[in-house]
Amino acid sequence: MKQQRTFIYFSSIICLTLFCWISGYAQTDSVAVSSVDSLKIKEKYGLRLGVDLGKIVRSYIDDEYSGFEISGDFRLGKKLYIAGEIGTEDKRDVTPYLDINTKGTYLKAGIDYNMYQNWLDMDNMIYAGFRVGASTFSHTLNQFQTYNTNQYWQPQFSSNQPQEFNDLTAFWAELILGIKAELFNNLFMGVNVQLKGLINQTEPTNFTNIYIPGFNKTFDSTKIGVGYGYTISYRIPLYKKDK
Amino acid sequence: MKKTSLLIIFLFTIGAIISCERDDICPAATPTTPKLIVQFYDRVDTETIKFVPQIRVQGVNNNNVLEGYNAVNVQKLELPLRTDTTATQYRLRRNYSNNNNGTPDDPSDDFPNGNEDIITIKYITEQVFVSRACGYKTIFKNVTLTIEPDSDNWIASRQSVTDNQSVEDETTAHFYLFF
Repeated sequence: MKQQRTFIYFSSIICLTLFCWISGYAQTDSVAVSSVDSLKIKEKYGLRLGVDLGKIVRSYIDDEYSGFEISGDFRLGKKLYIAGEIGTEDKRDVTPYLDINTKGTYLKAGIDYNMYQNWLDMDNMIYAGFRVGASTFSHTLNQFQTYNTNQYWQPQFSSNQPQEFNDLTAFWAELILGIKAELFNNLFMGVNVQLKGLINQTEPTNFTNIYIPGFNKTFDSTKIGVGYGYTISYRIPLYKKDK
Repeated sequence: MKKTSLLIIFLFTIGAIISCERDDICPAATPTTPKLIVQFYDRVDTETIKFVPQIRVQGVNNNNVLEGYNAVNVQKLELPLRTDTTATQYRLRRNYSNNNNGTPDDPSDDFPNGNEDIITIKYITEQVFVSRACGYKTIFKNVTLTIEPDSDNWIASRQSVTDNQSVEDETTAHFYLFF
């Protein structure tokens, strides 16, 4: 698990370095063109659809996880996009005392605001966004063992009888920070981090929501959740507008 | 570009925090599986708490002495109950000392001095969810405590604190023993 996180972290460094390198090139290119004064630059508007590469890679390398997410955004104005994600996750969590499977789907909708001033016809984004998220999911408690600080008597009670907790829902709000860089014409690569705050959830009886699809891991002490995403997306250009 | 690099540094920091997130540890202050608390009183003056001299506590079918109860003077016992079954038995030996039978070099013929009484605690277990880090605790309902009769019982009687005694926390005593 630790190793995997390290892997994910370092792969994020590599991705970001790649973006900087690419955008560096793009900038020197455009400087040469800028001598033409009368150039009218048009900006592309369209629907951008993508998948979360991080979840696909993790599904391959992690036996206890499978997930898939489709993301989309639509440009409304110069800087404003409506954006959303839809996804499904199946994850197993094992602690010394609990062994749980979580399975479910989620939907997130909101806006992205581009804070990056593009040069000429460049089309990159450094954005902040807001989402509301909703998830429906179920837990299966595969096994558990009584937690006892005193180990004079052993073994402790343990249960191997799987228990189902169905029809669970959760709602949350989310802040996103990320970048999207155009690698080739209309093809984008992006990375983002998400900070979530749980608003409402169905509490299962005599259990708690260990993991919420889309919200990710929950914590005992806070209602805060975190997440990240690596997306590759394609923009279907619909029309152009003057910059 | 300065703004961009600042943002990238910020993203890295968040990435680092997520990557090195602390594992869940059950806090010691969280009440989990409770122990049975027994308070000793005088058999005549039943309002007076009394110390048992040199008590030694050992579970029946357990090879170890209960930690902290090897020939000590106590007025209170904290007894862990078995969570994997519905009964726990303890040997309570007062005035314990080891008698080496006149052969200090040979432990094979040693025997314990003192008077031993066996108590049997019966109950129903229930699993209660505590938290993500602690998982489930076991609590005990319909708890009864009986003193196994022998030719020379040092414990005179017992009394539960409430009618339908349960052991759900460790804040107060659950049973009184009079001797």
